[in-house]
Amino acid sequence: MNLIRTELRKTLLYPTFWVIMAIYVLLQVLLIYFSSNLSISGQSLGKSLYEFPNLWMRFSYIAYFFNLLLGILVIVLITDEYSYRTLRQQVIDGRSRTEAVLAKFYVTLGLAAIGTAFLFVVGLLFGFLYSSDTTLGAIFGKIDYLSYFFVQAVGYMCLAMFFAFLIRKSGLAIIAFLAWSKIVEPIIHYQLDDRIDRFMPMKVFGSLTPTPGQELIDGLTSPTMALSPAWAVLPALFYIALLVLASILLVRFRDL
Amino acid sequence: MATVLYLDELSKKYGSLQAVDRLTMQVEAGSIYGLLGPNGSGKTTTLGMVLDVIRPSGGNFLWFGRSVSRETKRRVGALLETPNFYPYLTAKANLQVVADTKQADHRNINKMLDMVGLGTRSHTTFKGFSLGMKQRLALAAAMLNDPEVLVLDEPTNGLDPQGIAEVRDLITRIAAQGKTILLASHLLDEVEKVCTHVAVLQSGKLKANGPVGDILSTQDQLLISAEELAPVLQLLERLPYVVRFAQEKNYIGLTLSEGYSSTDLNRDMFVQGIVLSQLLVRRKSLEAQFLEITQK
Repeated sequence: MNLIRTELRKTLLYPTFWVIMAIYVLLQVLLIYFSSNLSISGQSLGKSLYEFPNLWMRFSYIAYFFNLLLGILVIVLITDEYSYRTLRQQVIDGRSRTEAVLAKFYVTLGLAAIGTAFLFVVGLLFGFLYSSDTTLGAIFGKIDYLSYFFVQAVGYMCLAMFFAFLIRKSGLAIIAFLAWSKIVEPIIHYQLDDRIDRFMPMKVFGSLTPTPGQELIDGLTSPTMALSPAWAVLPALFYIALLVLASILLVRFRDL
Repeated sequence: MATVLYLDELSKKYGSLQAVDRLTMQVEAGSIYGLLGPNGSGKTTTLGMVLDVIRPSGGNFLWFGRSVSRETKRRVGALLETPNFYPYLTAKANLQVVADTKQADHRNINKMLDMVGLGTRSHTTFKGFSLGMKQRLALAAAMLNDPEVLVLDEPTNGLDPQGIAEVRDLITRIAAQGKTILLASHLLDEVEKVCTHVAVLQSGKLKANGPVGDILSTQDQLLISAEELAPVLQLLERLPYVVRFAQEKNYIGLTLSEGYSSTDLNRDMFVQGIVLSQLLVRRKSLEAQFLEITQK
């Protein structure tokens, strides 16, 4: 409780936090709004995008792209503690190194909760405005996609957290985070058999929010081997635990 | 006297650089212990190790006879190198974060801000502070849960003369409350003015340690000359309070034992019919003493 209160004190008064969250909210609303003009496989999505209950699946897929922004925020929050030397001071003052890492893990949980709550509100808003079916059954039909999104956001931010504790400099850590998630791991995917690479961390996190209209694409090409969202939860939790553990070990065995 | 901090062959190696080399020393309760040495002599590394942020490559240290833990840390207030705070938070908010970590009473915050003279600036953000104010805020943070021991690393580094005076005054006031202070400094006169005990470090090695009076002698040196130096030298041999003397070109340099001054010497010379043409009192520079110690 003490850890969370301290993190709140530091984060809520940090202008950068509000700026990044504002960008997160604004860009996401814009993308959700304009994505109805997109077309997949020649079919314009149109207002069908906002139909309950598939809306949850589509919105969580859109929100998936913005996890990068949350990851960058986590990197900024952690590397700040190094550049201000406040992490060091907290250990001097009696906080354990494990607690220092856990505090940041709680921050990722909090940010993921904010992201999920935001998605829920935006989903309801667009759904009630445009969906033809607003019965309770339809609204909550595929609400479980929000929980998949939550796990995914935590996973992305834990990867960012790991790079932040590993590299300790914001610029380099952000580059490493983007490079791994968008370039290095995708390259590895190409080299590996689909049956193996579907268990790679970014692939697992990605499987939590499958591409809308995947069924259509599968019909045209060979079906993907990606895990179903429900099946991806377990390996995702495994990677999250691994990343948190690796961060703790990093901080414990290095000079601050 | 209880031992507050005990170092046993504490060492730190950075690659091939031996930053701290088998340092053994102890700090007694109630003392103001100065860790004196030039930049890069291993002072900050030593403090970093006993404060649990730098891992020793060898040796051991004990706080209050125990290995470092949350409990021992709560009894020690410390600032290492620079004041470490969140620049965008106010002085008060920063101290709230510190109070959370130390599980200190939040009611102490205003009291400590007043003590360091920042009571009226408690709502200014840290980045708006001058270096002297930042340093004082760091002292307030270190004092927040009324610790028995203060560890201060170069507390006056980079301050202007007024800032130095303020911080030194603060340290003296804190010491007057009976707290043990471990202070690292590269300033000889700071250690001489503030400390009761001193350890001299150079290239990570302990060169000397003990009470300040023993290590940094404040004895004055006299320079005398006369028309004829021979009778002067003869007399100096017989004067019991002359600790040592040496002829240098056309003058004689000498040191007197404590309690004697140039007046005594001048009187005895005159009684023996020797008239000095020159009598000069020269304060032995601390720098010279420091070089003496480190070149031993």
